[in-house]
Amino acid sequence: MATAPYNYSYIFKYIIIGDMGVGKSCLLHQFTEKKFMADCPHTIGVEFGTRIMEVSGQKIKLQIWDTAGQERFRAVTRSYYRGAAGALMVYDITRRSTYNHLGSWLTDARNLTNPNTVIILIGNKADLEAQRDVTYEEAKQFAEENGLLFLEASAKTGENVEDAFLEAAKKIYQNIQDGSLDLNAAESGVQHKPSAPQGGRLTSETQPQREGCGC
Amino acid sequence: MMLNMAETKADLTADASNSSNNNVSSQPNNPLSRKLHKILETRLDNDKEMLEALKSLSVFFTENSLRTRRNLRGDIERRSLSINEEFVRIFKDVKEELESVHEDVQAMSSCCEEMTNRLKAAKEQTQDLIVKTNKLQGENHRLEVRAQVAQAFLSKFQLSAAEMATLRSARDGPITEDFFRALNRVKNIHEDVKVLLRTNQQTAGLEIMEQMAVLQETAYEQLYRWAQNECRGLTQETCDIPPVLSQAMESLQDRPVLYKYTLDEFGTARRSAVVRGFIDALTRGGPGGTPRPIEMHSHDPMRYVGDMLAWLHQATASEKEHLEALLKQVTVQGVEENMQEVVGHITEGVCRPLKVRIEQVIIAEPGAVLLYKLSNLLKFYHHTISGIMGTSVSSLLMTMDEMHMLSKKMFFNSLSLHASRLMDKVELPPPDLGPTASLTQTLSLLREVLASHDSSVLPLDARQADFAQVLSCILDPLLQLCTVSASNLGTADMATYMVNSLYMMKTTLALFEFTDKRLEMLEFQIEAHLDTLINEQASFVLTRAALSHIYSCVQQHTADQGPLANLPGMDSTSLKTAMVQFDRYLASPDTLVMPQLNFLLSAAIKEQIFRQSTELVCGAYAEVYKAVTNPTNTYKDAESVLHRSPQQVQALLS
Repeated sequence: MATAPYNYSYIFKYIIIGDMGVGKSCLLHQFTEKKFMADCPHTIGVEFGTRIMEVSGQKIKLQIWDTAGQERFRAVTRSYYRGAAGALMVYDITRRSTYNHLGSWLTDARNLTNPNTVIILIGNKADLEAQRDVTYEEAKQFAEENGLLFLEASAKTGENVEDAFLEAAKKIYQNIQDGSLDLNAAESGVQHKPSAPQGGRLTSETQPQREGCGC
Repeated sequence: MMLNMAETKADLTADASNSSNNNVSSQPNNPLSRKLHKILETRLDNDKEMLEALKSLSVFFTENSLRTRRNLRGDIERRSLSINEEFVRIFKDVKEELESVHEDVQAMSSCCEEMTNRLKAAKEQTQDLIVKTNKLQGENHRLEVRAQVAQAFLSKFQLSAAEMATLRSARDGPITEDFFRALNRVKNIHEDVKVLLRTNQQTAGLEIMEQMAVLQETAYEQLYRWAQNECRGLTQETCDIPPVLSQAMESLQDRPVLYKYTLDEFGTARRSAVVRGFIDALTRGGPGGTPRPIEMHSHDPMRYVGDMLAWLHQATASEKEHLEALLKQVTVQGVEENMQEVVGHITEGVCRPLKVRIEQVIIAEPGAVLLYKLSNLLKFYHHTISGIMGTSVSSLLMTMDEMHMLSKKMFFNSLSLHASRLMDKVELPPPDLGPTASLTQTLSLLREVLASHDSSVLPLDARQADFAQVLSCILDPLLQLCTVSASNLGTADMATYMVNSLYMMKTTLALFEFTDKRLEMLEFQIEAHLDTLINEQASFVLTRAALSHIYSCVQQHTADQGPLANLPGMDSTSLKTAMVQFDRYLASPDTLVMPQLNFLLSAAIKEQIFRQSTELVCGAYAEVYKAVTNPTNTYKDAESVLHRSPQQVQALLS
């Protein structure tokens, strides 16, 4: 075999948004650590986690930024939308108010990200069927009307957690394949590795070094 | 014949026995009798030989005649002779055969002997050759063993040609797995060869050690050059860390100086990538214009600074990850500190552009509240990015800290400026004795600052620290201002104005956390002024209800003045007249209210003053009543003078 391939060929940047307490941090933790955090403290500002997954035969590294839902951090977290390739918009199926606020989250997301950013709607806490306050159908309709992917998931049981991240990744990858996502743009949220594994030497893709702009 | 003989014998025997019975002992020596005895005694049955002889006799003796009996002997001899002749004849064949065999054997023997001789001769001739050959074979074998040993030695203590080639080719071509294998071999050999030094193969040992040491250094140097070059090339935003490079770092960790220099190269390369990325994000933004370049929001300081800091946070996190990939195989101690240092080095480049821009924002005097929010934001990000960079002192963190301090300083400056401006233009209290415009303005400023403090992104303990300073910066000048501007007012006016102003301050503060101490202080001050107002109101009432003079006389009455009734204006008639007015008061106490009280902002305070002053009035009346009904004061018919008892008055006024 030739020299071993890189660990991954793309980096996709994700952001997780939604009201306070819907389970964003738990979703991230379940995805990266495969464990459920029962006593999860409120996120301060922004936290992040990473994981490599395989999409259409390619290894993709996901760099996931988990934002705080508390209102007072809103201004801070808005700054993290830029350059996201994918956004997970999360609501809690047992609390109607979190669903009702989706409009404002969606507005933020559309305003602050790339037009090609893939947004996926996640109804979390699907394991609490008895306390359901938002039906699957209406959320599905909302998603369809706004051109969003949609899944109901549970960070506690792990149901659909992988799929949530995977579906978004697939869509992003598809966008790359059919050319609608420009990889050379700095803020597309996708970083790409050269496709042919080298024996440790970089190809002529090396750009000429510029001195740091001392503005 | 046999029968005959047997019969004869039997006869003879019988006869003999007859005769012998008669004369046995008489003629023993007679040869004939002896013969007869002998014949008679022969027992043919037991004599096997005789029986055999008789058997063979009967083979050829067929005719029994005299002649044949006479010739018997001759016949037998003849037969015996012929048998012997035959025997000889036959035996002669045998002998001849035997002789021929003997000849053959003899021939073989001589042949063998000849061969042996020849061999012996040959052997003697070839003796030398054989000896030589054996010797050579032995030597050959010895040399083979030696060769094996030498081969084993070489393979253990020397590099193969392929390995040497790999190490040499690193100069020109890329570094591969094989290189590391070869390098490991060199290191192993260097270790193993120490064994030799303990034996008497010291020269070989030392030579090899030296050779390996030289090879190692050369290899490391080449590895370093290659790694350095690779790192130099990592200047794009997407940073690929090939596994070979990670392996190179793992190898280089044995040469701390080279390792450090390589890390420095990496740091420098990434540094320029990060700076370029930052500038791009600031000025160019994303594809097709979204997301917009960060500088588009420079008019909105919070958004602008927030975006910049968020970008830096993400970049720092990414760079840390790159480093972790680069150094994932390194096992030396202190890797974590290394990484933090390098991240610090990498982010150093953005300090200048960041600082310049933030300074611009701060110096543009965006107003106290914004400055306060900025300083909190900077502290928040300092804390967040420290999470990635650890405890190491990095330029980025220092810059952020600097900016935080600057922002805070400017904030307090702004507050102080505001305060001093307040003092400069001392306003007169408005006619409604309410808060002045300056007070309202300043309080709304305070409210804004406190609101942003409450919703700050900082954790609780960090927030509390600033708080006292902020409050004293605003509240103390304000209090001074109020006091100064009230200084020319009359007592009631002053007290009313102060109560109003203090009340406003209290209500503003009450909405926010951590204000308890200040609230307490304000409360005390309000109470002080309240007391004043209560007294004023009480006096107001007493005066208008005509009890003023009377009450003061009562209060100041001493025994040596004589009975009270004799004092001027204290006689029954005057008292009665006063009571008329007092009654009017009792009928509608609400009509006797100091005008200032109507200017009070707080209904509760007004209520309190009214209530407490009324109590004072009751108390005053009670004292007067007591004095009047006291016989020593010689009032006649006291009840008709003061026809209300204090209890009644109390009841009427409550």
